Amino acid sequence: MHIVDQSSIPSGPVPAHAGAVSRDDFERLTMPFLADVARFARSLARDDARADDLVQETYLRALQGWHTFRNDADPRRWLFTVCHHVFLRTMQRDSRYELVADDDPELDSLVTATAHWKAQESGVAQILEQMDLGRAIDQAIAKLPAHYRGAVVLVDVAGQTYEEAACVLGIPVGTVRSRLFRGRRMLQDELFAYARDAGFETATVARDPKSLPFTGSKET
Amino acid sequence: MHSGNSEHTPPHPIDCETAVRRLWDYLDGRLPEMTHGEVEAHLKSCELCPPHFVFAAEMRKALAASSPSLSAGDEARLRLRVRGALERVTGSGAHNADPRA
Repeated sequence: MHIVDQSSIPSGPVPAHAGAVSRDDFERLTMPFLADVARFARSLARDDARADDLVQETYLRALQGWHTFRNDADPRRWLFTVCHHVFLRTMQRDSRYELVADDDPELDSLVTATAHWKAQESGVAQILEQMDLGRAIDQAIAKLPAHYRGAVVLVDVAGQTYEEAACVLGIPVGTVRSRLFRGRRMLQDELFAYARDAGFETATVARDPKSLPFTGSKET
Repeated sequence: MHSGNSEHTPPHPIDCETAVRRLWDYLDGRLPEMTHGEVEAHLKSCELCPPHFVFAAEMRKALAASSPSLSAGDEARLRLRVRGALERVTGSGAHNADPRA
């Protein structure tokens, strides 16, 4: 598996006459993927105007780094990598960058299920199941920290495999899995918060925490 | 990755915590056959865990359906904008020199 070396992606200002290669060649190979890049950018940015800025910047950066592009590489994947890199830089400027240790993906699965159990107890989960999940998902994705959003968008929205996402993001497959699980857990939390913010929460039913099902003793 | 339960070897019973620790790997179809079968058997006999798996699966479906649309007009406008930006940095008209030429 070829992981893209993200250090080859230019990050400084785009200089005038940056493209030291034929713009015709560049456009011939990259413009067929403009719609794919635009949809990916919209998935990441969750704002059409910001996404369009992201697409333009992606193509400018890609042109600037075009001399590092291997002839046998996949132009679409290269553009996605550049787009994600530009997105991360934008998010850093917006102070919304956050990344914690990706050390126990299975714990995120456990926490996800536990949070759902608690939401069931409070009535939030049942209410959310009756709402338009699509609109809530849009808002929840927009709140995901950048690194987790990249993994979630590539795998869950764009339908790529873990391996394909690893190539685009330039990280190992195990890290994709970690970020994906953490991102999904955060998304679920946001969905429950969405239901509560919408004023749908019913009276919370107090329950002894010891009755949580995940205590390791309940064998079937 | 998995291809269903073995007919001959009954799955090893697992507890709820073990099952939900495998939640996302199970839904993503990335568990080995044996552990996939263990989760499947647990879900058939447990009353507590299936709703969590169902909700997680619904969330994945909603994510897959959230792929943004791009109208033909939006695409054409964006294509013009990107081409204009590329032209500005490479110089207009002459489609700058290719050093490989």
